[in-house]
Amino acid sequence: MTTPILEMRRIDKHFGAVHALRGVDLHLMRGEILGLVGDNSAGKSTLMKVLTGAYQRDGGEVLVDGKPTHFRSPQDSRDLGMEMIYQDFALCGNMDVGQNIFLGRWPRHFGIFVDRPKMYSEAQAVLQRLKVDVNSVFQKVESLSGGRQQSVAIARAISFNPRVVIFDEPTANLSVMATERLLETMSELKKLGVAQVIISHRLTDIFAVGDRVMVLKRGQAVGDRYIHATSEREVLELIVSGTAETNLTAEQALQQAA
Amino acid sequence: MSAATEHDHAALPRKLRLPMQIVGGWEGGILLFMVALYAVGAYINPGFFGTTDAFSAVLRDTARFGVMAVGMSFVIINKELDLSVGSTLGLVATVFGVLYDSYHFDLGVGWSIFGATIAGLLIGLINGVLVTRLNVPAFIATLTMLFIGRGMVLGLTGGQTISFGQKAVQDHWFFGLGETNALGFNSQIPIFLLVAAIGIVALAKTRAGYQTYAVGGNAQAAQYAGIATRWVRIRAYLLAALTATLAGLMNVAQDKGLTSQIGQGAELIVIAAVIVGGASIAGGRGRMLGACLGAALIVLIDKVLREGVPITHTIDVDGVKMQVQSYAQLPGGAVQAFLGVILLAAVLIEPWAIRGGGAARIWARLRGRQAPPPPDLGEAAIVGAQMRGSAADARAVAARGLRAFLARRDAAAIILTVLLWLAGMALRPDFWGSLDNSFTLLLAFTEIALVSVGLTFVLATGDVDLSVGSVLAFSGATAAFLMKETALAPVPAIVLAMLGGTLCGMVNGLLTVRFRLPAFVSTLGMFYIARGLASWLVAGRQLSGFSDGFNVIGRNMYEVLDALGMAPHSGLLRAIAEAVSAQTLFMALVALIAGIVLAKTVIGQRVYAVGGNERAARYAGINTGAVRFWALTFSAVCASAAGVIYVAYLRSFNPSAGLGRELDGISSVIIGGGSVFGGYGTVLGALAGAAVITLIRALLSLQVLLPDGTSFVMPQHWMNVLIGLILIGAVVGDIWLRQERILSRLFKRRKGSTS
Repeated sequence: MTTPILEMRRIDKHFGAVHALRGVDLHLMRGEILGLVGDNSAGKSTLMKVLTGAYQRDGGEVLVDGKPTHFRSPQDSRDLGMEMIYQDFALCGNMDVGQNIFLGRWPRHFGIFVDRPKMYSEAQAVLQRLKVDVNSVFQKVESLSGGRQQSVAIARAISFNPRVVIFDEPTANLSVMATERLLETMSELKKLGVAQVIISHRLTDIFAVGDRVMVLKRGQAVGDRYIHATSEREVLELIVSGTAETNLTAEQALQQAA
Repeated sequence: MSAATEHDHAALPRKLRLPMQIVGGWEGGILLFMVALYAVGAYINPGFFGTTDAFSAVLRDTARFGVMAVGMSFVIINKELDLSVGSTLGLVATVFGVLYDSYHFDLGVGWSIFGATIAGLLIGLINGVLVTRLNVPAFIATLTMLFIGRGMVLGLTGGQTISFGQKAVQDHWFFGLGETNALGFNSQIPIFLLVAAIGIVALAKTRAGYQTYAVGGNAQAAQYAGIATRWVRIRAYLLAALTATLAGLMNVAQDKGLTSQIGQGAELIVIAAVIVGGASIAGGRGRMLGACLGAALIVLIDKVLREGVPITHTIDVDGVKMQVQSYAQLPGGAVQAFLGVILLAAVLIEPWAIRGGGAARIWARLRGRQAPPPPDLGEAAIVGAQMRGSAADARAVAARGLRAFLARRDAAAIILTVLLWLAGMALRPDFWGSLDNSFTLLLAFTEIALVSVGLTFVLATGDVDLSVGSVLAFSGATAAFLMKETALAPVPAIVLAMLGGTLCGMVNGLLTVRFRLPAFVSTLGMFYIARGLASWLVAGRQLSGFSDGFNVIGRNMYEVLDALGMAPHSGLLRAIAEAVSAQTLFMALVALIAGIVLAKTVIGQRVYAVGGNERAARYAGINTGAVRFWALTFSAVCASAAGVIYVAYLRSFNPSAGLGRELDGISSVIIGGGSVFGGYGTVLGALAGAAVITLIRALLSLQVLLPDGTSFVMPQHWMNVLIGLILIGAVVGDIWLRQERILSRLFKRRKGSTS
């Protein structure tokens, strides 16, 4: 078996008296799309924030390419090729598309001046690669629709050439059209070998593009299934009444069914 | 460099035309307006504006404010505000003067510049640390620095003028910078052009500028993107302080001396310049060139207003008609009031007239067409519940007896009141408890308490009112002016003065609620407008000597009763009557009603709901706009009552009335359990807080008898510095002790590590 690009083992996280994550395991292969589902407060976002270093874990370990790591901030995980796309996209509305794609790492000459020709032409290139229909890299982001703002956020993540992309509720604020376009984008990223995690309430989306789905309940993993070997009904049952006993790995579930 | 660089640029559609960053239509508009304004000036006053001297005078004065506008742009684009630049300029000039002047330290010019620069940078650093590290709201931190800086200027100069024209002759290389050079223009102008050029390039073209826009646009996003947002914000405060330092040095180089008023009100001109130049107080917008042109425009407006119109009037001397030339000028306060109005107008232009489509709606209505609907500004539906302070309240619910008292948010203020009074007793047992002193204490307490009661409501709704001191002055000046100059009877004069003050509060409320300005911006405008109007009313007039019927408001009850022929003659009753004045009774009545309304009625619950979570309150069907509007209005009513009482007590009006009262009031409310973030505060707490402030002020001016028979009084010029420090201490304490509960967290951590 090949080494997972990313592995989390027995992750624990407390917030005061609340035990938010209890020994959660997670692994992700190259080019795999994993859906992360569960009720509100199941610990989905917390798990991902522990992964990117936005939160510090209380126990367990995170391995990237089989090597233990300790991220102190999202910047650390970004350096190892992990990008998170936040639910509110985390863009500066007062700046234009090109400036947002290179937010915080604008190309420079002489160390201090922003190299604008380079910035805009590279931004243009990233948008073309993504086949995003943003009219102009000079448009202010606040004048874009929600779907296009998300395209910019994705373009921003892609331009780092990431190996793992995490989407936090990507379809929550999108129209039907924009959702379809997003799912296409995700398939293309998969072809490029980018591993992806989608946190979502909408099982339909996960079943449309996902390879595997993992269910969290009250801070515990309660199930891990291959999309092709499960049904929305089974996943819903896990979300509602999953327990530690139902927490088989996807492989085990496959064997049991066979 | 993980960016996708491998794509061939040839595939891109032709050469990209980059958007303009340095200049836009707005700057063109300012230029046109300036030309028109100059033409108007030249038309009404050709004697001044027709000359080249006028042109270079405008440019010379623009130079200092323009330099400061360059620094301020970084702060405002960061979505913050620095109210302390005027004081920084003053303090820097004062430090330079004190170090350089031969009657003080008599140092060389190099050392003096060095010392002054250190002082300036220190203020910037303190501002930055207070705002970014200690989470004090920017307007509170920098407003306090404004008063602290002013206090230090007064303390260092002792209120005197410092002048070093003699010594300055030796150091012409420095003082020449403030003079007209061989080329025929003032050397400050090239300094300004250089600073402006650096600022324009730094903001539009460099990484630092991009970081500033990113932090102002979306600080969270900037942080996720790996920008050191805290440093970007501290850097802006340092730049603002540094440019104010430069302006202060330019100022002493020009004047070769200074008065204790140096730099007063400069922050108004600088902030107005940056906002007029197209920056938005909502952050993320603005250009440096606009700010510099804005500075020129504001200075020009200032000049046009100040220079006045030459007039000829005829006087009759012993039957001989004589023509006398003179200038009809606006009094000083009027200019300040106009600048305040310009500031508010400039703040409103961008969000209301341009983005909000207000201008289009008015135009449609003028043509009798159907007005387009106002655009939906939109907002996210869900915000995090505010849970601050909840643990402290949970403890309070469970506790009984003394613990229950200690868990109250106003416990500290009540205990401090008692302790401070006892301290006074210990220091001067012969004097502190006397009737005279108690009467004075109660009088001073009345003014602060009245203002604090009003502010309690405003702070509890999550807004702030920076204009209470100015409204106090405005209503006092109105009452004095009406009685003295128009011979109005006391009652209608009081009614009109109260109405005038109330109107100020309604304008505050309207700007805050209807036009959605942050309360600190609308009340900051009123801070200048009301004070400007007050000094306009009293300019050049002696406003004193009112009728006894009016003065009675400021007398003690003994005199009041005596006037009515009902004076008690004996013992305790007489002692009480001599210590309590009519105004104290009035204040107690207002406080009682306000206290019951806030604590026991639906109105009070609405106030707390709005302050706790404005959106949740709105969704629950509370008319939050009305609550905030009336809170701001009530605060102004209290302030105007305090103003009328002030005049009645002093029997005259002094333009410095209510100066810095907003600091006293806000400190009182916060010491008494309120929070600058809203949702907390009681009238009882505010009264206790006001008592603390009153007692501290009284103790600081107490003549202490030393054992060796001599006595000692703290120099009173330093008073404002200490009051400012107390406000900062109260706000920081509220944030870190009451809300973040730093002590119990530290305690827990230690317990956790030992177990």
